[in-house]
Amino acid sequence: MIEVEKLSRSYGNRKALDSISFQVPAGSVTGFLGPNGAGKTTTLRVLTSWLLPDPGTEKLWVSGVDLLRQPQLACRKVGALLEQLPLPGELRVCEFLQSRAVLKGVSGNRISSEVERVLGEVDATESSRRGIGTLSQGYRQRIGLADALLGDPPVLLLDEPTRGLDPRQVALFRELIDRLRHQHTIILSSHVLGEVEQICDRVCMISEGQICLDEDREAWTRRLESSGTTRVEVVDGSKEVAAGLASLEGVCEVLTDGAGWILHADRDLRSAIGELARQRKWALSDLRTDRATLESLFLQLTGPGETS
Amino acid sequence: MIRVASLARRDLLTLFVSPVAWTIAFVFLLVMGMTFHLSLLSVGGDLQQLVAAIYGGYVFWFMMLVLPPLISMRTLAEERRSGSLEMLVTTGISDAMVITAKWISTWCFFMFLWLCLLPLWALLSSVGQVDFGVLLSSYLGVALVGAGFCAAGILASSLTSHPLASAGFAMAINLVLFLVEWLRFLYQPGDLELRWIEHFSAVHHIGSELTRGIVDLRVPIWWVSFTILMLFIATKVLERRRW
Repeated sequence: MIEVEKLSRSYGNRKALDSISFQVPAGSVTGFLGPNGAGKTTTLRVLTSWLLPDPGTEKLWVSGVDLLRQPQLACRKVGALLEQLPLPGELRVCEFLQSRAVLKGVSGNRISSEVERVLGEVDATESSRRGIGTLSQGYRQRIGLADALLGDPPVLLLDEPTRGLDPRQVALFRELIDRLRHQHTIILSSHVLGEVEQICDRVCMISEGQICLDEDREAWTRRLESSGTTRVEVVDGSKEVAAGLASLEGVCEVLTDGAGWILHADRDLRSAIGELARQRKWALSDLRTDRATLESLFLQLTGPGETS
Repeated sequence: MIRVASLARRDLLTLFVSPVAWTIAFVFLLVMGMTFHLSLLSVGGDLQQLVAAIYGGYVFWFMMLVLPPLISMRTLAEERRSGSLEMLVTTGISDAMVITAKWISTWCFFMFLWLCLLPLWALLSSVGQVDFGVLLSSYLGVALVGAGFCAAGILASSLTSHPLASAGFAMAINLVLFLVEWLRFLYQPGDLELRWIEHFSAVHHIGSELTRGIVDLRVPIWWVSFTILMLFIATKVLERRRW
């Protein structure tokens, strides 16, 4: 479990994180979303102890360890797959993982079995003797993930894990994460909203250093369903139609584009509109609902501009 | 300690497979081989004088000033630029451990280069009388001064992400310790000032003491202290990135 309360971090005078608070429940996969420069990577860097938070940060706990007081112990609880993955091309996969296992404090007699285990977890056992410099991008990401899994940390931080992968590799990587979700608490930072929608149990959106959404799947699905639009076209429609549609329960706003009406509502209105049309003898020429997506929610909550 | 040794081993391995390191080694051995030959001619085959001629000459000092910055320039600068330093720190290893490991690998490679000259001495000992005591104390000087210069290189590398800037800065630090000796020629220093100059001068430590077989305990203490100071500052610089 990760508990963050009033975390701030500044670069000079610029506040990259402004007193953010969030919790990641144990065993969940949390999608960390936000535009470039919003503060995602800064948050992950604080959680890996690469950066110190500003004074005033109240709580920063990773899997039961206070990161502010015991940063090195907290590091052992975190496995990180960084956005930049500078693997040493001159080493073989097993050599690299063995040296990383030592650095992560895996005891000497367990190193070989641990390296085998993590390679097995990411389906890369056959690449053990290969030079890292000869690996494809997909395999490099797997080796990065294998590195993050060394020492079996309870928390995994994955920063843009599918960046640069082709669609097949993305699908395989998704399967991998899906397999790992049962043993680890995962934060997945990504720009691929569809990926987050598919994989994550929870979404945390960050914009300009502040959390603008922190909801579990049930809550955000409800929000998406309630943020959809319904389009209605009625043959020989008149003002009476607009008034009728506006009278329906759950309608927030009725707009017209000239050809028909667009309803913003907090529920699916198709059956109610059908019933209204039958009662008032309207001839419907079009009735469809466009469900809001995570992308539209992202654009709505994070604003149009790109932060520097 | 195991973690430091593992990191140092990996860095050393990385150095040994890098073309830059092998180019440095090639040039070093070529130049030092020629220096050996010319020095042997200049001392007229007197092997007793040869040690001081080689481990105190201009070529020797050029190598001492240039090698550590070149070997150490990429250690932290390149790692910071590529992001591998961040990856390293996520393992929970402390900054002091990182600095120590980097210094060990740099110093080991530096000593490896100088130890490559030993077969030449072994060859000479078969045809003449080599004073191995003086040779040993000279190597002690190389090891001590090299340790300090490598530590200065690590400090310079921690300050910037540009390897060449790092090498330049490290050479400047080393040059100060080298040029202290020249103060005695710039003006007429008093006895106390002279003692201070001798205390800090790398040239005096090696040229006037160690290559003559004189081992004064103050020399190792000074260079070990200097090395620790440089590494301590480098650790603090590395910690600063987290602020």
